[in-house]
Amino acid sequence: MLAVYDLWTFVAENWRELLDGLVNTLKVSLIAIAGSAVIGIVLGAARAYRVPVVSQLAAVYVEVIRNTPILVQIFMIFFALPQAGIRLDAFTVAWLAVMIWGGAFNTENFRAGFEAVPYRYREAAYALGFGGISTFLNVTLPIGGRIALPSSINTYISVVKNTSLMYVIGYPELTTTAINIANLTLETLEALTVLAIVYLTLVWGLSAAIRMLESKLAIPEMR
Amino acid sequence: MTGAALALFPDWSGPVVRYILEVGLPTTLRISAFAVLGATVIGILLGTLLTVEFWASKTAIRGYIEVFRGLPILVTVFLVYFGLPALSPQLEFGPVPATILALILWGSAQVAEATRGAVGSIPREQHEAAAALGFGWVGRHVYVIVPQALRRLLPPLVSLLVNIIQNSTLAAVIGGIDLLQSAKAQTERLTFFPPAGIGEIHAVEIFGFVMLLFFVISFPLTRLAAYLERRLA
Repeated sequence: MLAVYDLWTFVAENWRELLDGLVNTLKVSLIAIAGSAVIGIVLGAARAYRVPVVSQLAAVYVEVIRNTPILVQIFMIFFALPQAGIRLDAFTVAWLAVMIWGGAFNTENFRAGFEAVPYRYREAAYALGFGGISTFLNVTLPIGGRIALPSSINTYISVVKNTSLMYVIGYPELTTTAINIANLTLETLEALTVLAIVYLTLVWGLSAAIRMLESKLAIPEMR
Repeated sequence: MTGAALALFPDWSGPVVRYILEVGLPTTLRISAFAVLGATVIGILLGTLLTVEFWASKTAIRGYIEVFRGLPILVTVFLVYFGLPALSPQLEFGPVPATILALILWGSAQVAEATRGAVGSIPREQHEAAAALGFGWVGRHVYVIVPQALRRLLPPLVSLLVNIIQNSTLAAVIGGIDLLQSAKAQTERLTFFPPAGIGEIHAVEIFGFVMLLFFVISFPLTRLAAYLERRLA
């Protein structure tokens, strides 16, 4: 006979492991978010300015990642790369896989953002004597980055959600931890409740943060 | 056979490719077809109902949308596959139906959100004209408003199809034999000693083949979605 549903006892008995799981989820998410932001800005700029070779390679990267399931990408990195002599531990695969995935989506986000910066802004910078790189850093990036902000934050939210897929490689983030506890204690419903509450809090919190940021960072002329 | 062709299609590849195409691919397509159909029908229904100004239905549908869009899809799969049987033994589903159900929950939330916008964008005069012709609320929406909203819904529906095809691989996590799981099974089989396998690892080639299959299916669809989006804009 299964025990009755008791969320408090479940949390009281397992909060340490669950907290470790949550910390791992956040750790992997933060590394992946930072990495995918860098990938997105660099490759997005290469795409927007049609930097030869880099732009084409970035396009291939974006299309391959966006048109194949992330789960297959994770399998490729974790189960197939060792055949080629590249052996990565579960933690590295965890952040690397979601970073590569998020980077591809972010490349498109930032490309669209940079392309939306009116040419006259850059023209004004050139007229003031700014070079190509300082125009990008002082004009295109701050304005285009703000245009790309809502879509890139949506990508970061998906990155957080996708860390749950690391269950398949056994990396002890939140989902793996909760399901493993449920398998031991048979408290399936309690474990699933914890998962649902924590993920919804993370995702809804981030969404609320976007809306606040959006109104704060909105570009006056484009409002 | 020439040397190049032999290198491209080694002896072990025949049975592997056949298993993936004959067992894995149909399961992936079946999951995707049922999930898209269910998500579209339920999503359009919920999205249309969301335009009705009644607080109880609005709150309930809003909650449904926010919950299933907010949860990682894997967690929704676990809720259906592990959670429902724990609630009642009658609610036990196999891996494939459980994945379909989870994808319908997630997909219908996406479609409902898109439908709300599309239905809301139909001008008020259309409602009034339909009402003047004697249509009630249901007739007005079924024959006049929703058919017009469908045009605007087409790009998000194609994107949904791509997302559902890709997320159907979640079936592999709970043991459904889809494209990904069939590939994994074959990779493992080849590592066994003869007669079952050949004692070799060919994970790169096999998972690479699966990636290629998904790409060949998804790429034209994402192009189509982008084209439809541009044409509407």
